[in-house]
Amino acid sequence: MIQIQQLKNCLAALLIIFAVFFTTAPVFAAEISLDSQNREIGIGSQFEVTVSLNTENEDINALEGKLFFSGNLLALKEIKDGGSIINFWMEEPKQTEKEIVFSGIVPGGYIGGSGRIFSAVFYAKKEGKGFIEIRNPKVLLNDGQGTETKTKTSILKIAISAKTPSVLPPEKKDIEPPEDFLPEITRDPSVFGNKWFLVFSTQDKESGINYYKVCEGKRKCVTAESPYLLKNQNLDEEIIVKAVDKSGNNKIVVLPPQKPKIWYENYLYLVILIAGVMPVYIIRKLWKKYFGKN
Amino acid sequence: MNDKLLTAYKIFPIFFVFLIIFFVFPKGVYSAGTSNFQLEIIPGYQCYDGQDNDNDGLVDYPDDPGCSGYTDNDETDAVAPYCGDGSCNNGENCSTCSADCGQCPSGGGGGGGVSLPATSVTFSGRAYPLSKVTVLKDGQKAVTTIAGPGAKFNTSITGLSAGNYIFSLYGEDNQDQRSTLFTFSVYITIGATTNITGIFIAPTINVDKKEVKRGDNIAIFGQSAPNSEIIISVNSDKEFFEKTQSDQNGVYLYNFDSSVLKKGNHYTKSKAAVDGKITSFGKTIGFLVGAKNIIKAVEESLKGDLSGDGRVNLIDFSIAAYWYKQTLSAKFASKEAQQLNSDGKIDLIDFSIMAFYWTG
Repeated sequence: MIQIQQLKNCLAALLIIFAVFFTTAPVFAAEISLDSQNREIGIGSQFEVTVSLNTENEDINALEGKLFFSGNLLALKEIKDGGSIINFWMEEPKQTEKEIVFSGIVPGGYIGGSGRIFSAVFYAKKEGKGFIEIRNPKVLLNDGQGTETKTKTSILKIAISAKTPSVLPPEKKDIEPPEDFLPEITRDPSVFGNKWFLVFSTQDKESGINYYKVCEGKRKCVTAESPYLLKNQNLDEEIIVKAVDKSGNNKIVVLPPQKPKIWYENYLYLVILIAGVMPVYIIRKLWKKYFGKN
Repeated sequence: MNDKLLTAYKIFPIFFVFLIIFFVFPKGVYSAGTSNFQLEIIPGYQCYDGQDNDNDGLVDYPDDPGCSGYTDNDETDAVAPYCGDGSCNNGENCSTCSADCGQCPSGGGGGGGVSLPATSVTFSGRAYPLSKVTVLKDGQKAVTTIAGPGAKFNTSITGLSAGNYIFSLYGEDNQDQRSTLFTFSVYITIGATTNITGIFIAPTINVDKKEVKRGDNIAIFGQSAPNSEIIISVNSDKEFFEKTQSDQNGVYLYNFDSSVLKKGNHYTKSKAAVDGKITSFGKTIGFLVGAKNIIKAVEESLKGDLSGDGRVNLIDFSIAAYWYKQTLSAKFASKEAQQLNSDGKIDLIDFSIMAFYWTG
């Protein structure tokens, strides 16, 4: 009897182990999470929400999504993408109505538990309960085929109350300029009708890139996005590209003329030549006229 | 008899659990070439590390009076600063306290700027003998170097800001074949030197035939570190592992007998081991087992290389970005079909493919 009981115990243990391992086998999935220091917020407060990626040990290289927030309670103050794991944005985090759309890539892939994507600073407009969540997330593996991996997200619930004191997030001064970068001039039949265009990209590890300015020769500098169609298709003038971060620090790169003008094509030299030769000619003529026949 | 039966029933569950653990759970942790390097951070000076080392509420030079300069490695305030304490700090200058700060220069002329400790990262490891090794910083080329005859390389990047960086390295072998990217994420500390050692770049790989007649040999070859053990995987329903040795130039060649493979598409990849170090698997190459031999032509164009310049970088990204979520022209649709995923549109999948084949 005791032996049969022992046998039954063994079989029961075996069944439990079988159930545990086959019904709860781990499934790898990436996770895009939202994190904030503040969940209870006072009216008029500002708080920052960070969007992070946990790849759960998978190698990923592309992601996209939308950050949706309760627009009746919250107003978006600022988006910070400084220090992001995303090297190149197809859609830099930007507000469209009640959501922030974003998509970007990490060439070479990324594996990590808390990769910062970007953060958003919100302003609490009025009392109430609201939420912030990621919708339509897509995370792709670094496998050369763009295979999608399962992605988990979470909802960040917030409570805005008149009783909670109003606070502002601490300001961190960014004194570092953007990273070094090298713009390239190129052309392709499928872009801008095969005209010369400029490509450029850099990162700022703290406040994030605010804008780029491009100056071609003596033309007025313009705020520009990459790819940028060059106005001077002769490429015979210097091009200056300036990257400016959100604290006003900047990094300037100067590209020399790709096809410098031959000296006689430079009108300034022609003017100097003419201005130099004309007086000599006139003096010679006058000399001959007044002194030459005597 | 009953005792024996009972013993068997006790042992069997333990054996069964062992089988489940061994086969159900993945073997090891997936990594993308990150398991072989070591990271050493040589901290910067206390007076230039962004930390309040002496907990006096003041950080670094010149804010903390315990710092006499950026290269002072002790933030501790000895005594309250005063003029005559030998330290030019606490707002003192040559005008207010020449005893500590020296006499002010009489004339003009510059010089005497403060030199800050450099923030840098060094990379060292193995690639292929005399190969070009390229380092990408956040996806853009930062520095290139040439490995020595023994395949060892050493290079550095200076002038960095503090923050998270993604570095990628790849090598180019004697046939101009590129390795896969060896990528990792590192936090760089201001004023510190970060040494990343033990990098071992995966071998390059190629095959001599696009299609091999079943039963004939297909040559699998490439380059790695000299005299290293090369493990070659050939994938079909069953995975085959073969071993060979690279020569003193790091070149390896293995003639694989295709008779063990069924007709159809197969894939091969390789990794290297030497001196106790092992790479991850490198690039995967496909070939067909069929009814005839077709020699592999010169390398087809690189996936993701929309500009056709032999690289996959910001230019190609910008070309794809121009067409992102736009209706493709007939000309570009043809390019998309060849270089990307041929679904007639540019979306996240195309950029993911480009990111995989990235060269900077």
